[in-house]
Amino acid sequence: MSAPSIPNLLSLRARGGRGRSRGRGQGRGGFGTGAEAPASRGQAHDSVIQGTDTDAAVSRLSAVDTGYLSDPYARYFVSAFDGPPARRFPIINRGTYTRTTAIDNLVHSFLAGAGGEEQQGEVTRQIVSLGAGTDTRPFRLFSQKGHPQLVYHEIDFSVTSAKKLKTVEAVPPLASILTNRSTGDTGSWSSQPLSGEYFCHGLDIRRLSPAATDILPGLRTDVPTLILSECCLCYLSQKESEDVLEYFSSRIPNISVVIYEPIHLGDPFSDTMVSNLAARNIHMPSLERRRDEADEAARLKRLGFETTRQLTIDRLWSKWVNAEEKERVDRLEGLDEIEEWQLLAGHYAVVWSFRGDGFEGWRGIE
Amino acid sequence: MSDLDKAIAQLRSCRPIPEDQVRELCHRARELLIEEGNVVTVTAPVTICGDIHGQFHDLMELFRVGGDVPDTNYLFMGDFVDRGFYSLESFLLLLCLKVRYPDRMTLIRGNHESRQITTVYGFYDECLRKYGSANVWRYCCDVFDYLALGAIVLGASSTLSPGSPEDDDTEIEVCDQAGSIISRFPRQPANQSSQEKLDNSNKNTVDKTGPPGTGASGSSSGSVGNPTGAILCVHGGLSPLVDTVDKIRLIDRKQEVPHEGAMCDLLWSDPDEIDGWGLSPRGAGFLFGADIVKVFNHRNDLSLIARAHQLVMEGFKEMFDASIVTVWSAPNYCYRCGNVAAVLELTEDESGTGIFQRTNGDVGRSSGGIVEPRGGPKNGPARRYRVFQAAPQDSRGMPAKKPVADYFL
Repeated sequence: MSAPSIPNLLSLRARGGRGRSRGRGQGRGGFGTGAEAPASRGQAHDSVIQGTDTDAAVSRLSAVDTGYLSDPYARYFVSAFDGPPARRFPIINRGTYTRTTAIDNLVHSFLAGAGGEEQQGEVTRQIVSLGAGTDTRPFRLFSQKGHPQLVYHEIDFSVTSAKKLKTVEAVPPLASILTNRSTGDTGSWSSQPLSGEYFCHGLDIRRLSPAATDILPGLRTDVPTLILSECCLCYLSQKESEDVLEYFSSRIPNISVVIYEPIHLGDPFSDTMVSNLAARNIHMPSLERRRDEADEAARLKRLGFETTRQLTIDRLWSKWVNAEEKERVDRLEGLDEIEEWQLLAGHYAVVWSFRGDGFEGWRGIE
Repeated sequence: MSDLDKAIAQLRSCRPIPEDQVRELCHRARELLIEEGNVVTVTAPVTICGDIHGQFHDLMELFRVGGDVPDTNYLFMGDFVDRGFYSLESFLLLLCLKVRYPDRMTLIRGNHESRQITTVYGFYDECLRKYGSANVWRYCCDVFDYLALGAIVLGASSTLSPGSPEDDDTEIEVCDQAGSIISRFPRQPANQSSQEKLDNSNKNTVDKTGPPGTGASGSSSGSVGNPTGAILCVHGGLSPLVDTVDKIRLIDRKQEVPHEGAMCDLLWSDPDEIDGWGLSPRGAGFLFGADIVKVFNHRNDLSLIARAHQLVMEGFKEMFDASIVTVWSAPNYCYRCGNVAAVLELTEDESGTGIFQRTNGDVGRSSGGIVEPRGGPKNGPARRYRVFQAAPQDSRGMPAKKPVADYFL
């Protein structure tokens, strides 16, 4: 087990103050044009959900700072207003690590699968990240070489996308990746990086439905596309989240989705999770139904996705992280709470589902 | 009212005591603990508790369910600190009670009673937050180094009801927090195969689960009845370097928990469904199977090993023909896990064959105080598990920060 030096004293304040600074960092009340109805409950909930992005960014940086993940861009998205970065418990760091590397694995396999067909650089792949928030994946992907041409879309509330642009403009290492930027309205902006195109849409994803007119400029319908939802669709009602998925599957023939979210297993842990989240004013409609893998596959099939696989974070850690890497990660902090890890990580799952061509890279991934 | 009683009153209301009082308390506690052997001898009746992890309000609930100190004789098997929000108040209260009632309170060391682990899992941060410096953390860690590594419980009865042992064939009783009996398992004839018993008790468990919502069903399979009543209590489990209890007594324990070796294993190991020894996924200690426990218990005249260290959703879990039990006393662990907690009560044997002088120290330790079994085979101790749920956070007039459990969001 590593022997961490005495922790940063000030990290405590960050931990204690996160609740307060979340509102400040995200500009509570700073969104909405004022023309709408007075702050409704729904709006307040939207604000809470935007706050979860700060949570995710802090967790990501904690995992980077403790050596779980390598992500040079993570620190730029944790507000200095929040004080020195908070350190998460090992169990949370390991979860962040497992979730990130599992999704990286699926994304890289999706992109690498294109390699065999034709010359790199002539093939195009598209990724649409829902509720992307401060995700650093586009920076990581566009700064890597050897990928096919990539069209990358991020969709989030306009306040979030506008904030992301501000961060990119203020931080040279980010600005040098997403170059040739142009700004649209409602917080939308785009960029022409070296090996593709990037779009950041300031848009409430609930406006995406099969009947919606095309509201995502730059969306290609002719290339294999991966829709990515990391803890995003789970905040929508079932109807809303199905509409979002159908928006894409009804337009794009070669389509896939990767969903990461908590699952309700009908046990006391799940019930406690629901009530704890409720205490933070977080409501996840996806937790209302008990998770059944076959049901989930059937639901996705109805929405146009043919083949579905699902693994919990617990299983992903056991199956996808090789022995050498496990040993490295174990050495970082040690993990005393084995039973708690199995419990917590057993209640989160990554689902991947696809239809059509372009997903050869996922063959053999179990 | 003495200063100590004042400190106890203050801590009971979940308010920390001033730094100079902590220093004084830790000093007195160390003087007391230094006199204890590595393996403390405790005489039944005793209530054995598992991990607390700074869940102060749940510790108060434990005292409500199990009886207050000094009315009830307690043995806590470590992991007082880390994870919960009130490690400081929980540990200092237990320490105050130890100093005030040394013969009614036994504390042994858990793997979290360590400098290194507390810097990762919260106790260090909590001390800094509450006192503005690490002094109190240092005082507490100095006490950790003196905590005993284990305890031997002697004089436990093979029946639960004193006075009329001949009418009472109950081996295991499970009660809820109001004291109502949830289920009861009669002692099985010693010649019945363990598999038959397992089947029987499984049936019982199905028939007699707790009231709706308690989630209390427990998990036990009855014991094969070892001839003595001695119970070894240790936080984690066994060590390949320790084949007798006397070997534990030889350890130089007054140090930070080492990364390996016998002392580390006692605090870190877990029983598992394997043969022999295995590597622990925790990165410290070992996994050990039923064969290891049975040989150890036989060699040391033990009927049971009680240990903590692992979250069990039902609060307790007996394994390997009831040769080892896990007791877990932190309900809704980390305010997130949704589990119930339990304490294990062992009653006093009044038959006169099992009365022992309590020694917290080295006196007469060479024999361990264990009396050689007389006559025919004697059954293992009767066990009453009191199962309880998390205390309502804001109902007790104590400052209660709304706990925020972390999730991956």
